Amino acid sequence: MPAIIRRTPAGVISTIVALLIWQFIGSFGPLAGDSFATATEAITALAGLLTDSVFWAAVGQTLHMAILGFIISIAVAVPLGLLIGLSRFSYRSSKFTFDFFKVIPPIVIIPIAILAIGPNITMGVVLVIFANVFAVAIQTAYGVRDTDPVLLETMRCYRFNVIQQVLHARLPSAAPQIAVAIRLAASAALIVAVVAGLVGGAPGLGNLLMRYQSGGQVDKTYAVLLALGIFGILVSRLIVRAQRRIIFWTGR
Amino acid sequence: MMRVWRWILAIIIGAWLPIVFITWWWNASAESTNPYFPPLSVIWEQFKVNWIFELVPVHVVPSIRNLLVGFLIAAVIAIPAGTLIGASRSGTRYVEPVVDFIRSIPPVALVPIFILLLGLDAQMRITSIAFSASFPILLATIEGVRSTNLVVLDTAKSFRLSRSAILWRVRLPGAMPTVFAGLQVGFQIAFVVTIASEVLGSGFGLGAFTLIATDSFLIVDAWTGVILLGILGYLLNLVFDLVERISLRWYYGQKKLS
Repeated sequence: MPAIIRRTPAGVISTIVALLIWQFIGSFGPLAGDSFATATEAITALAGLLTDSVFWAAVGQTLHMAILGFIISIAVAVPLGLLIGLSRFSYRSSKFTFDFFKVIPPIVIIPIAILAIGPNITMGVVLVIFANVFAVAIQTAYGVRDTDPVLLETMRCYRFNVIQQVLHARLPSAAPQIAVAIRLAASAALIVAVVAGLVGGAPGLGNLLMRYQSGGQVDKTYAVLLALGIFGILVSRLIVRAQRRIIFWTGR
Repeated sequence: MMRVWRWILAIIIGAWLPIVFITWWWNASAESTNPYFPPLSVIWEQFKVNWIFELVPVHVVPSIRNLLVGFLIAAVIAIPAGTLIGASRSGTRYVEPVVDFIRSIPPVALVPIFILLLGLDAQMRITSIAFSASFPILLATIEGVRSTNLVVLDTAKSFRLSRSAILWRVRLPGAMPTVFAGLQVGFQIAFVVTIASEVLGSGFGLGAFTLIATDSFLIVDAWTGVILLGILGYLLNLVFDLVERISLRWYYGQKKLS
């Protein structure tokens, strides 16, 4: 292998190869034609979008729905989960209900959301909350219940009150669980905000994608997809980095 | 006897909250004049008319068929491919970034592309489902096969097991719990994309039924569709969990021991 290939990171090489394959399929394969954009067309269109204020407005709307929904769901779900997790009775009472809503994807309630709220930013925020609140709450409750019983007994012996127990034992031991739930919630928030636009007619990148697709602007449709992939990667990188800083004691 | 009692108690504890919720909904909505939130009793009457079992063959059966066919195609392609990639260290390094990128695109966002390419028919739906569901399965399989327990791997090597024997009898079984986690995510994605492909396409399917009802202000019908979709989503997940528990019995047995 030539030295230049050996020294290039694997990710760069495979990205280039993937782009070449994409270009080749788009130009010569059975898919070639008006309904398929080649890599160069898509990237050119993406470059065009980057200077287009319509695109950035859509990015802003999608981020608005994702971030606001994400913050509200965490602010509600973590305290709720803590409360539920404090007693065995409340945990076992809510487990079934929360698990039920947790596995129902938000796309299911979009028709109701369209009727009750209308295709707007609020609907996107509500969908993001619906997507995350149950999962984060029940995961937090699970983490809280999972606290080392010996540690809790010891604290009780030393007459630590409930608040101290929560702050110094239950929360730190639940933190890894909460962190996993929050990481999943962040990715889900972005996805749901896009879906709200795609399916529910809320503003943002999903809506833009749908408009380009139905308007036959194939290259721009692919360009928005590329942008979505890049945002997705950025969000998950960002979250992993933030997580390492905040809960440094789990060693992950 | 003790165990039976414990079961009954667990069911009561799990069920009181939903029962309270549904009773509250039933009573609170009984007098409702808000067109968007019709009384639950009315929804229930319509639910019986629609889904027990008048429209099930028309709308539910095609949806579930597409879901299962698409998901199976994804699994049949992604598990072998993931095994091959995961077994080779450089394969993983080269393939993972690209797969990771495609997986970062919201699965539902790919449906418009498939509509452009394939039109609105069942083939488009199944292709969208299979494509979107395959990436989490592929990534999980790569991860599972790659992270085989090193001691077990060395043991297998020192017994001079052939490469294919190591792949089939050591790496793949060891990867199964991770593969199943990927299958579960893939299955959930398949369910969402099934609905999306019907909503964004047109015509048959439970998702299409519900959204058309919404657009034509048949609000009670829309509610029945949403409720049925919710129940289906939960039940399908339950069935999946059951299959996983049965297939991975050895694994859960081991976990209990350790």
